[in-house]
Amino acid sequence: MKEIIGIDNIKVNVNARDWREAIEASGNILLQKGNIKRKYIDDMIKAVLSLGPYMVVTPGFALAHAKPSPDVLQDGVSLITLKNPVEFGSINDPVSVVLCMACVDNISHINVLKAVAEKLMIEGMIGKIASCRSAREVYSLINE
Amino acid sequence: MGTIKIQTVCGFGCGSSLMLRMKIESILKKHNLEAEVFCGDVGTCCANKCDVIFISKELSERIIDRAKVPVISIDNFMNQAEVEEKTLTFFKNLKNKEG
Repeated sequence: MKEIIGIDNIKVNVNARDWREAIEASGNILLQKGNIKRKYIDDMIKAVLSLGPYMVVTPGFALAHAKPSPDVLQDGVSLITLKNPVEFGSINDPVSVVLCMACVDNISHINVLKAVAEKLMIEGMIGKIASCRSAREVYSLINE
Repeated sequence: MGTIKIQTVCGFGCGSSLMLRMKIESILKKHNLEAEVFCGDVGTCCANKCDVIFISKELSERIIDRAKVPVISIDNFMNQAEVEEKTLTFFKNLKNKEG
């Protein structure tokens, strides 16, 4: 089994009052691990403000990311589930699963994102992830 | 007529557009259709040569007036039924145009 998302990069039942806090929380995992600089989190929030909530690509799920930039030190993905779902202003609201993606360029991350996307596109997967009670459960769902 | 080019578009051309691209590619495969699918970003997608643009509903409003090719907006990138229906409709229209 090849690991898609590390157990340390998954958090469940995160408290977030709104979409900004949800993005912050998902970004903070990568910040703490040294994948990104703080500015990358601000850029993800700015992306929603300037482009709208299109990142909520399917009901309940947001793909938070910004443009590849020097603020990304190393490719990384993190995944959180929210204790209380938040609204992004999208037709696919409310969101309870946020995947944060940071990439150094437009190519390097493709295999990881493809692997994640393949899992998430399985019918009913988002709901299953949202109802997991531990990071270990999410880890098993995604990586196995 | 050369290879059909389908452009999937998101904010930066590297996140959700890739998910949509994968979904469309799997549908093409299922129905034995041939096309080249590539990702683009909302800022530059209208300058890229293609036959059709698939884009999220929220972003479609930003390009609909500028695009020179059909713009197909998708509500749910992971909804097999929606993406499949819209992809097949595009190919059907294409065939009608040719015929």
